[in-house]
Amino acid sequence: MRLARARLVAGRELRAERAQPDGLAAALGLVAILVFTESLLVGPAVAAAPGIAAALLWIALALATILAVTRSFDRELEDDALEALLVLPDGRDALYAGKLIAATLLLLVVALGGTALTIYLLDLEVALPFHLLLVTLVGALALPPLVTLYVAVSLRLRARALVVPLLALPALLPQLIAVSAGVTAAIAGDGGASLAWCGLLFAAALASAIAGFTIGPAAIE
Amino acid sequence: MPSVEDRAALRRASVRLDDRTVLHEIELEIGPGVTVIRGRNGAGKTTLLRALAGLIPLSRGTREVGDDVLYLGHRPQLHRALSAQENLAFFARYRGLSTDTIEPALRAWGVVDIARPVERLSAGQRRRASLARIDVERSAVVLLDEPFSELDDEAFTLLAGRITECGARGQTVVIATHGHQELAGYRTVRLDAGTLVG
Repeated sequence: MRLARARLVAGRELRAERAQPDGLAAALGLVAILVFTESLLVGPAVAAAPGIAAALLWIALALATILAVTRSFDRELEDDALEALLVLPDGRDALYAGKLIAATLLLLVVALGGTALTIYLLDLEVALPFHLLLVTLVGALALPPLVTLYVAVSLRLRARALVVPLLALPALLPQLIAVSAGVTAAIAGDGGASLAWCGLLFAAALASAIAGFTIGPAAIE
Repeated sequence: MPSVEDRAALRRASVRLDDRTVLHEIELEIGPGVTVIRGRNGAGKTTLLRALAGLIPLSRGTREVGDDVLYLGHRPQLHRALSAQENLAFFARYRGLSTDTIEPALRAWGVVDIARPVERLSAGQRRRASLARIDVERSAVVLLDEPFSELDDEAFTLLAGRITECGARGQTVVIATHGHQELAGYRTVRLDAGTLVG
């Protein structure tokens, strides 16, 4: 029942995103700009180093996730739509879980697009494409739980635009390190290392999801 | 004796907001039928309804309200990117109800363009779409905060009729208002400076 309700909230979120794709457009736009300017910032030779390319891409994806989730909650605050959800049975749980599902799907799209763009623009040769896909998939699972949690916790704060990145980015460091290392290993052809980082990333995703589900619903005001 | 599902109660409930006591030791039990909460601006009517809805935490006391609650506040509470129809379909599915009643309900409330995103509707149309939730969800407890604001005469009459019907059906309807003598005749609770006075 609870999962069905979370699915309904996620479906509503994705329907709204389809009607007004400003969250997706902002996230894709941000990632594209950062990938485009990457070569200018660090020089073409450095930018093409797999470790640098992966780290910059996933920092951009973390910022894009913050942007998209914040936009998603902003829409709930318009006309007090959030209150209607909170009053529903299991509304807080469904809201957190639904937003998390929608954010994960959205990040997956942006991450796949961003990864493809990075490979194309930097002319990278990927030794293990399947491993790269797997790391990207698990990376997309790992970032949204904490971002959704921090956006939910700071929902009524005036300085939310500053507070969320300040709280979320340091907390996402282990995930960012793991996903960058996993992507680097996949590009370089080190399958064992890539899968090991993938496992760590999955554990981090699980831990942050548990933290999110424990704190997030109760913290929404 | 009303069940927990169809009554709303606060026991010695206090609410503090920004270090100010907005509700003080409220002892209130509301059963099926229509109850009107009256009081001047700032008396605490909205806070009382929000406390009943579970939207604000109590600093003291307890809240006894079932799961099947509909709360309509000052604003329409609809997702602006979705149409009125999509919004109401979400609420109906969430509660496990049929979506067949949505279109007739929206038509009955005079919502002209039910497939248009809510943000492109006028304030009055949004309000009507929001009020159509009363017909679609038929919740055991209905909490309405100043529901007559932004309504024209036709919608005003429609809402007054719906409130009477809900009360007659055995739903627990609680309305916060500072005026509207049209609601005379219902059980009235008066609130002054966060305290029940009658």
